Amino acid sequence: MDRSLVGWSSDAVLVRVDAWRVSLFCQAIGQAPPAAQDPVPPTFLKALEGESCSSASILERLGVPLRSVLHAEQAFEHLAPVRAGETLAVSRRVAGIEDKRGGTIALIHLETEFDRDDVRVANSRQTVLVRRETV
Amino acid sequence: MNDARFAQTLEYTSEALRAIDLALFAAASGDHNPLHLDEQVAQQAGFERPLVHGMLTMAHAGRMFTQAFGPGSVQALQTRFTGTVQRGERLRMRAVLSSVEDGAARYSIEVAAGDGKPVATGMARIRPLHP
Repeated sequence: MDRSLVGWSSDAVLVRVDAWRVSLFCQAIGQAPPAAQDPVPPTFLKALEGESCSSASILERLGVPLRSVLHAEQAFEHLAPVRAGETLAVSRRVAGIEDKRGGTIALIHLETEFDRDDVRVANSRQTVLVRRETV
Repeated sequence: MNDARFAQTLEYTSEALRAIDLALFAAASGDHNPLHLDEQVAQQAGFERPLVHGMLTMAHAGRMFTQAFGPGSVQALQTRFTGTVQRGERLRMRAVLSSVEDGAARYSIEVAAGDGKPVATGMARIRPLHP
Protein backbone atom coordinates (compact mmCIF):
# COMPACT_ATOMS: atom_id res chain seq x y z
CA MET A 1 0.00 0.00 0.00
CA ASP A 2 1.41 3.38 -1.03
CA ARG A 3 1.25 5.44 2.17
CA SER A 4 2.84 8.44 0.50
CA LEU A 5 -0.66 9.18 -0.83
CA VAL A 6 -1.93 10.16 2.62
CA GLY A 7 -2.93 13.81 2.23
CA TRP A 8 -3.37 13.52 -1.54
CA SER A 9 -6.46 15.24 -2.97
CA SER A 10 -8.14 14.81 -6.31
CA ASP A 11 -8.77 17.92 -8.40
CA ALA A 12 -12.31 19.23 -7.92
CA VAL A 13 -14.52 17.92 -10.72
CA LEU A 14 -17.82 19.55 -11.68
CA VAL A 15 -20.59 16.95 -11.46
CA ARG A 16 -24.21 17.56 -12.42
CA VAL A 17 -26.91 16.17 -10.13
CA ASP A 18 -28.80 14.36 -12.85
CA ALA A 19 -32.58 14.03 -12.21
CA TRP A 20 -32.58 10.76 -14.11
CA ARG A 21 -29.94 9.31 -11.80
CA VAL A 22 -31.79 10.56 -8.71
CA SER A 23 -34.94 8.80 -10.00
CA LEU A 24 -33.04 5.57 -10.52
CA PHE A 25 -31.61 5.80 -7.00
CA CYS A 26 -35.10 6.33 -5.56
CA GLN A 27 -36.51 3.46 -7.61
CA ALA A 28 -33.87 1.12 -6.14
CA ILE A 29 -35.21 1.84 -2.64
CA GLY A 30 -38.88 1.84 -3.63
CA GLN A 31 -39.33 5.56 -3.16
CA ALA A 32 -40.90 8.22 -5.41
CA PRO A 33 -38.34 10.70 -6.81
CA PRO A 34 -38.21 14.04 -4.96
CA ALA A 35 -40.38 16.92 -6.15
CA ALA A 36 -38.37 19.55 -8.06
CA GLN A 37 -38.15 21.84 -5.01
CA ASP A 38 -37.12 19.04 -2.64
CA PRO A 39 -33.55 17.97 -1.87
CA VAL A 40 -32.13 14.70 -3.15
CA PRO A 41 -31.99 11.72 -0.72
CA PRO A 42 -29.28 12.15 1.95
CA THR A 43 -26.96 9.40 0.76
CA PHE A 44 -27.34 10.16 -2.96
CA LEU A 45 -24.15 12.25 -2.85
CA LYS A 46 -22.10 9.04 -2.66
CA ALA A 47 -23.18 8.34 -6.24
CA LEU A 48 -21.58 11.63 -7.34
CA GLU A 49 -18.20 10.68 -5.88
CA GLY A 50 -17.73 8.04 -8.53
CA GLU A 51 -18.19 10.68 -11.24
CA SER A 52 -15.34 12.70 -9.81
CA CYS A 53 -12.82 10.17 -8.53
CA SER A 54 -14.19 6.78 -7.53
CA SER A 55 -13.11 4.94 -4.40
CA ALA A 56 -12.08 2.08 -6.71
CA SER A 57 -9.69 4.39 -8.60
CA ILE A 58 -8.23 5.71 -5.32
CA LEU A 59 -7.68 2.13 -4.08
CA GLU A 60 -5.97 1.33 -7.35
CA ARG A 61 -3.60 4.30 -6.84
CA LEU A 62 -2.90 3.02 -3.32
CA GLY A 63 -2.12 -0.43 -4.74
CA VAL A 64 -4.96 -2.11 -2.85
CA PRO A 65 -6.86 -4.82 -4.74
CA LEU A 66 -10.66 -4.45 -4.62
CA ARG A 67 -11.12 -8.06 -3.53
CA SER A 68 -9.34 -7.31 -0.25
CA VAL A 69 -11.58 -4.45 0.86
CA LEU A 70 -14.84 -3.91 2.69
CA HIS A 71 -16.81 -0.71 3.06
CA ALA A 72 -16.62 -0.36 6.85
CA GLU A 73 -18.09 3.05 7.58
CA GLN A 74 -19.75 5.94 5.81
CA ALA A 75 -20.83 9.34 7.05
CA PHE A 76 -22.47 12.41 5.51
CA GLU A 77 -22.87 15.92 6.80
CA HIS A 78 -25.34 18.13 4.94
CA LEU A 79 -24.86 21.87 5.27
CA ALA A 80 -27.37 22.98 2.60
CA PRO A 81 -30.01 21.20 0.50
CA VAL A 82 -28.85 19.81 -2.88
CA ARG A 83 -31.42 19.52 -5.66
CA ALA A 84 -31.53 17.75 -9.02
CA GLY A 85 -30.26 19.94 -11.86
CA GLU A 86 -27.54 21.60 -9.78
CA THR A 87 -23.81 21.26 -10.44
CA LEU A 88 -21.41 20.55 -7.59
CA ALA A 89 -17.63 20.65 -7.43
CA VAL A 90 -16.53 17.35 -5.89
CA SER A 91 -13.05 16.65 -4.58
CA ARG A 92 -11.75 13.68 -2.63
CA ARG A 93 -8.82 13.21 -0.28
CA VAL A 94 -6.94 10.33 1.29
CA ALA A 95 -7.26 11.54 4.89
CA GLY A 96 -5.39 8.76 6.62
CA ILE A 97 -4.36 5.13 6.88
CA GLU A 98 -4.48 3.32 10.22
CA ASP A 99 -3.18 -0.14 11.07
CA LYS A 100 -5.38 -2.18 13.40
CA ARG A 101 -5.42 -5.58 15.04
CA GLY A 102 -1.67 -5.99 15.04
CA GLY A 103 -1.41 -4.96 11.42
CA THR A 104 -3.74 -7.66 10.06
CA ILE A 105 -6.16 -5.03 8.87
CA ALA A 106 -5.80 -1.41 7.81
CA LEU A 107 -8.40 1.34 7.69
CA ILE A 108 -8.24 3.85 4.84
CA HIS A 109 -10.10 7.09 5.51
CA LEU A 110 -11.35 8.99 2.47
CA GLU A 111 -12.99 12.41 2.70
CA THR A 112 -15.07 14.21 0.09
CA GLU A 113 -16.03 17.85 -0.18
CA PHE A 114 -19.10 18.97 -2.14
CA ASP A 115 -19.22 22.67 -3.06
CA ARG A 116 -21.80 24.69 -4.97
CA ASP A 117 -20.62 28.08 -6.28
CA ASP A 118 -17.62 27.89 -3.94
CA VAL A 119 -19.82 27.30 -0.89
CA ARG A 120 -19.57 23.97 0.95
CA VAL A 121 -22.91 22.11 0.86
CA ALA A 122 -21.83 18.70 2.18
CA ASN A 123 -18.95 16.59 3.41
CA SER A 124 -18.65 12.85 3.44
CA ARG A 125 -16.26 10.39 5.02
CA GLN A 126 -15.73 6.79 3.98
CA THR A 127 -13.70 4.17 5.81
CA VAL A 128 -12.45 1.25 3.77
CA LEU A 129 -11.22 -1.81 5.63
CA VAL A 130 -8.33 -3.67 3.98
CA ARG A 131 -7.60 -7.27 4.93
CA ARG A 132 -3.81 -7.21 4.89
CA GLU A 133 -3.15 -10.90 4.31
CA THR A 134 -4.49 -10.37 0.79
CA VAL A 135 -2.28 -7.35 0.02
CA MET B 1 -36.17 15.56 24.93
CA ASN B 2 -39.85 16.57 24.96
CA ASP B 3 -39.96 18.03 21.46
CA ALA B 4 -43.20 16.61 20.02
CA ARG B 5 -41.83 16.63 16.46
CA PHE B 6 -39.45 13.81 17.30
CA ALA B 7 -40.75 10.30 17.94
CA GLN B 8 -38.94 8.34 20.64
CA THR B 9 -38.48 5.43 18.23
CA LEU B 10 -38.84 4.84 14.51
CA GLU B 11 -39.17 1.42 12.94
CA TYR B 12 -38.75 0.56 9.28
CA THR B 13 -38.84 -2.70 7.36
CA SER B 14 -37.86 -2.87 3.70
CA GLU B 15 -39.27 -5.23 1.13
CA ALA B 16 -37.07 -8.27 0.45
CA LEU B 17 -34.23 -6.86 -1.68
CA ARG B 18 -34.44 -8.30 -5.18
CA ALA B 19 -31.87 -8.67 -7.98
CA ILE B 20 -33.59 -5.80 -9.82
CA ASP B 21 -33.14 -3.52 -6.77
CA LEU B 22 -29.42 -4.32 -6.66
CA ALA B 23 -29.11 -3.78 -10.42
CA LEU B 24 -30.93 -0.44 -10.23
CA PHE B 25 -28.72 0.60 -7.33
CA ALA B 26 -25.57 -0.42 -9.19
CA ALA B 27 -26.65 1.75 -12.12
CA ALA B 28 -27.62 4.70 -9.90
CA SER B 29 -24.53 4.55 -7.70
CA GLY B 30 -21.95 3.50 -10.27
CA ASP B 31 -20.89 0.61 -8.01
CA HIS B 32 -20.84 -2.32 -10.40
CA ASN B 33 -18.83 -4.69 -8.19
CA PRO B 34 -19.94 -8.17 -9.39
CA LEU B 35 -20.17 -9.32 -5.76
CA HIS B 36 -23.51 -7.46 -5.72
CA LEU B 37 -24.79 -8.75 -9.02
CA ASP B 38 -23.28 -12.09 -9.99
CA GLU B 39 -24.30 -15.29 -8.24
CA GLN B 40 -21.08 -17.08 -9.18
CA VAL B 41 -18.79 -14.32 -7.94
CA ALA B 42 -20.73 -14.22 -4.65
CA GLN B 43 -20.42 -17.98 -4.24
CA GLN B 44 -16.68 -17.88 -4.96
CA ALA B 45 -16.42 -15.34 -2.14
CA GLY B 46 -18.20 -17.75 0.20
CA PHE B 47 -21.74 -16.34 0.10
CA GLU B 48 -24.85 -18.14 -1.01
CA ARG B 49 -26.25 -15.13 -2.88
CA PRO B 50 -24.98 -11.73 -4.05
CA LEU B 51 -24.41 -9.16 -1.30
CA VAL B 52 -26.47 -6.02 -0.95
CA HIS B 53 -24.40 -2.83 -1.37
CA GLY B 54 -23.71 -1.25 2.04
CA MET B 55 -24.77 2.03 0.46
CA LEU B 56 -28.14 0.48 -0.49
CA THR B 57 -28.68 -0.40 3.19
CA MET B 58 -27.70 3.16 4.08
CA ALA B 59 -30.06 4.57 1.43
CA HIS B 60 -32.91 2.76 3.22
CA ALA B 61 -31.77 4.30 6.52
CA GLY B 62 -31.97 7.71 4.85
CA ARG B 63 -35.45 6.83 3.59
CA MET B 64 -36.59 5.88 7.10
CA PHE B 65 -35.79 9.43 8.26
CA THR B 66 -37.04 11.36 5.23
CA GLN B 67 -40.32 9.41 5.37
CA ALA B 68 -40.76 10.43 8.99
CA PHE B 69 -39.40 14.01 8.90
CA GLY B 70 -39.51 15.09 5.25
CA PRO B 71 -36.95 15.63 2.48
CA GLY B 72 -33.91 17.60 3.56
CA SER B 73 -34.35 16.73 7.25
CA VAL B 74 -31.17 14.65 7.53
CA GLN B 75 -28.30 16.92 8.58
CA ALA B 76 -25.93 14.07 9.31
CA LEU B 77 -26.03 10.34 8.84
CA GLN B 78 -23.32 7.90 9.80
CA THR B 79 -23.29 4.13 9.44
CA ARG B 80 -20.88 1.42 10.48
CA PHE B 81 -21.35 -1.79 8.47
CA THR B 82 -20.95 -4.77 10.79
CA GLY B 83 -22.42 -7.64 8.79
CA THR B 84 -23.47 -8.65 5.32
CA VAL B 85 -26.94 -8.56 3.77
CA GLN B 86 -27.70 -11.05 1.04
CA ARG B 87 -30.08 -10.61 -1.86
CA GLY B 88 -33.59 -11.74 -0.88
CA GLU B 89 -33.31 -10.52 2.71
CA ARG B 90 -35.31 -7.69 4.29
CA LEU B 91 -33.78 -4.87 6.29
CA ARG B 92 -35.26 -4.13 9.69
CA MET B 93 -34.27 -0.83 11.21
CA ARG B 94 -34.89 0.83 14.51
CA ALA B 95 -33.90 4.36 15.43
CA VAL B 96 -34.00 5.56 19.04
CA LEU B 97 -34.03 9.23 20.02
CA SER B 98 -31.01 9.97 22.16
CA SER B 99 -31.08 13.76 22.50
CA VAL B 100 -32.54 17.01 21.16
CA GLU B 101 -30.31 20.06 20.99
CA ASP B 102 -30.94 23.41 19.28
CA GLY B 103 -33.96 21.99 17.46
CA ALA B 104 -32.08 19.01 16.04
CA ALA B 105 -32.63 15.43 17.19
CA ARG B 106 -29.98 12.80 17.46
CA TYR B 107 -31.01 9.20 16.82
CA SER B 108 -29.03 6.01 17.21
CA ILE B 109 -29.71 3.40 14.54
CA GLU B 110 -29.61 -0.39 14.52
CA VAL B 111 -30.10 -2.43 11.36
CA ALA B 112 -30.75 -6.15 11.17
CA ALA B 113 -31.34 -8.37 8.16
CA GLY B 114 -32.87 -11.73 7.38
CA ASP B 115 -33.46 -13.66 10.58
CA GLY B 116 -32.38 -10.74 12.76
CA LYS B 117 -28.57 -10.74 12.47
CA PRO B 118 -27.15 -7.24 13.11
CA VAL B 119 -25.69 -5.70 9.95
CA ALA B 120 -25.16 -2.02 10.74
CA THR B 121 -25.27 0.58 13.47
CA GLY B 122 -25.30 4.31 13.12
CA MET B 123 -26.30 7.79 14.11
CA ALA B 124 -28.41 10.51 12.54
CA ARG B 125 -28.90 14.20 13.26
CA ILE B 126 -32.33 15.37 12.13
CA ARG B 127 -33.75 18.86 11.68
CA PRO B 128 -36.99 19.06 9.70
CA LEU B 129 -36.82 21.66 6.89
CA HIS B 130 -40.47 22.60 7.42
CA PRO B 131 -41.23 22.54 11.13
